[in-house]
Amino acid sequence: MKPINKMKIEFWSISANESFARVVAASFAAQLNPSINILADIRTAVSEAVTNAILHGYPDEQGIVQMECTLYPEHIEIVIQDFGKGIDDIEKARIPLYTSRPELERSGMGFTVMETFMDSLEVQSEPNKGTKVIMTKRLI
Amino acid sequence: MDIRFGKEGNTLIVYLDGEIDHHTSMMIRERIDSRFLMEPVKNILLDFSKVTFMDSAGIGLILGRKSKAASVGGDLKIRNPRPEIRKILKLSKIDSMIV
Ligand SMILES: Nc1ncnc2c1ncn2[C@@H]1O[C@H](COP(=O)(O)OP(=O)(O)OP(=O)(O)O)[C@@H](O)[C@H]1O
Ligand SMILES: [Mg+2]
Repeated sequence: MKPINKMKIEFWSISANESFARVVAASFAAQLNPSINILADIRTAVSEAVTNAILHGYPDEQGIVQMECTLYPEHIEIVIQDFGKGIDDIEKARIPLYTSRPELERSGMGFTVMETFMDSLEVQSEPNKGTKVIMTKRLI
Repeated sequence: MDIRFGKEGNTLIVYLDGEIDHHTSMMIRERIDSRFLMEPVKNILLDFSKVTFMDSAGIGLILGRKSKAASVGGDLKIRNPRPEIRKILKLSKIDSMIV
């Protein structure tokens, strides 16, 4: 299927950008007039992926987070990428309630939320190279 | 995020107004914990009427406050979450905390 629109932004790994990124993604998706429930799901999933990039991708240093959104006639693809720490064991990281940072009051539900709220979720990661999360959601 | 407090018997009522994510949850946690220490209460009631967004950071925040309350023999309940927040509470299997 051919894309009908595309955008890409990058921003510093600062927690104030979590709300910025989810608002941007949802307003881009809003071009296709999806229901408010669909937009709420996108906002939540994007918030999870961006928070992970900021919190786990760059635990000690500041880095760059990229978000690319591609709009297709009936769905959106959202790619969120960091160039930080990476994930050793992706399968384990995706298990509900698994968190590497329980001391920070993380619940380990981020990937489960992305998986449940979106139609597809793909995670690519390499230690010390970074992490890429690719999600799609039907809009109509 | 705007936070106001109320008290009913031995329950601290926390009126949250705004969005709960990783960024705001750090401040919310500090505000609730210091108030909980100050007041002669053991239960916490989180009023979600004006919470417009919450992601999994909110789940960590809720469970952390619930264990604070439990440590003094109290409990934590959630009031009036909107449907999309109810959905994430349910997914995390803590929707039983809704009153
Ligand atoms: N971008 C990333 N870079 C490095 N590690 C990551 C990244 N995203 C996720 N992880 C790893 O995967 C684990 C699970 O992520 P998930 O979002 O499910 O839970 P969490 O972030 O620990 O907790 P929560 O999202 O509930 O606050 C994290 O604890 C972390 O170890
Ligand atoms: Mg997470």
